[in-house]
Amino acid sequence: MDIPKTVTTALEDRPVEDAVCLEAGAGAGNTTAGLLAGGAARVYAVTNDREHAHTTVDRLFADGDDSGSGRADDRRGRVAVLEADLRQIPLPDDSVDLITAHGLFNVLSPADLEAVAEELTRVAAPGCHLVVDDYEPLPDGAAVRKLFALENAAAELAAGRPALTFYPAAVLRRLFAGYGWEFDRRRTLLEPVPWTDKHLAAHAAVVREQTERLPDSSETGKILGERADQLADSIGSESVGEMYSVAMRLPT
Amino acid sequence: METRPLGDTGHESTVATFGAIALNWLEQAGANQMVEQVLDYGVNHFDVAPTYGDAELKLGPKLRQHREEIYLGCKTQEREYEGARRKLERSLDRLGIDHIDLYQIHGLEYEHELETITGEGGALEAFRDARDEGLIGDIGLTSHGNPQLILDAIDRIDDLSTVMFPLNPVVAGKDGDEYDYEAVLERAEEEGIGTLGIKAFAKGSWPPTDELPEDDRPYANWYEPVDRPDEIRERFDFAASQGLTTVVTPGDPKLVAMVLDAADRYEELSESEQRSLIEQARHDESPVPEQLHH
Repeated sequence: MDIPKTVTTALEDRPVEDAVCLEAGAGAGNTTAGLLAGGAARVYAVTNDREHAHTTVDRLFADGDDSGSGRADDRRGRVAVLEADLRQIPLPDDSVDLITAHGLFNVLSPADLEAVAEELTRVAAPGCHLVVDDYEPLPDGAAVRKLFALENAAAELAAGRPALTFYPAAVLRRLFAGYGWEFDRRRTLLEPVPWTDKHLAAHAAVVREQTERLPDSSETGKILGERADQLADSIGSESVGEMYSVAMRLPT
Repeated sequence: METRPLGDTGHESTVATFGAIALNWLEQAGANQMVEQVLDYGVNHFDVAPTYGDAELKLGPKLRQHREEIYLGCKTQEREYEGARRKLERSLDRLGIDHIDLYQIHGLEYEHELETITGEGGALEAFRDARDEGLIGDIGLTSHGNPQLILDAIDRIDDLSTVMFPLNPVVAGKDGDEYDYEAVLERAEEEGIGTLGIKAFAKGSWPPTDELPEDDRPYANWYEPVDRPDEIRERFDFAASQGLTTVVTPGDPKLVAMVLDAADRYEELSESEQRSLIEQARHDESPVPEQLHH
């Protein structure tokens, strides 16, 4: 599998080789693949989404992969995909040398930030490195903001919490500073961020999924769903905003 | 237009090179106009081949008129001495000139070809003899398909001055040795070898011919190109920002003016902007391997 340049760029100055790693929020397994390719001794890829867990397993263990992350057999021995809540990670205290959260925090609601930060800190060994890659809030003029606003409105109606929150790098840095993490560096991974037609279609689909959880009679839900599809079609794609990478470290 | 040193050749090439295959699709008058337009933009590096229909013949008149302004690359697919010599003489004859500035091994695909070219009685001997006679200047190589083979060629040909290969965000985003043109760029830089990028504007492969017959394709390219001015500019800026000496214009005449405009306004992209384009194209199919095995 191809490892995104955002992942390789975020990891290139981190001590991945021989490290025990935790990928917090294994989406499609891209960062896990990057950690394996970097020579990680072991990677725990944690996600609470069963579909993501399956995708990660399927992609990582596919035969014929020549991404440089090693042979499938070798990868099997170095990775564990865990379906678990990041507020209760099934790993012992002080057991991880490097934690990555690539595109995780934007799907965490403000209410969950503290619990996740605390739990990541619990499993981190002294001297552990943390890499948080995420998106700065989008500028006012960005067309995709309208679609994300609909997604949040639908999620608030259906579940009482937003689907997406774009935290500034400085906010996450301060959050982790409160748990003893020391700032190391910040770099720009993508600027602008390409929101492709596939991304927008996926976000419109999330709006639909959320509105399906509303009562059948919900006119608001129907309107939100239709509007999301219209927006995804009319925007097509847009390149806007910034994806950053912040690296931090626990004192030894 | 910005110029860059073409490796250690001593020539400063414009950041755009005119791919003269475009002339094949034009009548002579149109071909003359296109060459004048290309020269008006300040482009000083042209590239042609005997396999580009009658592009050599159509380039001839304007080339002879402006010979001093143009650093001309030509090439041969012949791998042995006699064939290469014959093709060189034929190109000189068709172009109506007595010297080609850069003569290139065209479309190297297989290791055994490299063996033949560099062996006794191989094309390279013919190139070197022609250089001693003043018929050609520098020696180059083009390859569409295998970066490792280009690296091998750099190892084995110590008087190689240039390499030409595909580079675009689709290819740059893929892992695996077969896409590792970054290694070629790095090596070429170390060795003082000039780099020419092709297929910078490739978007993907054409649909199968039973869905879209070759004659119905809107562009004469072997691949489906990007064709909006903003996309063309992005692709040009990307290729030139990757560190290539020069980016070759695409084969369809309709796209050439847009590319010249992009080259004229070239601005280096930051690394995060380059990654943005790679990310945008990350799930696209690479058009390069399909093209190779034609």
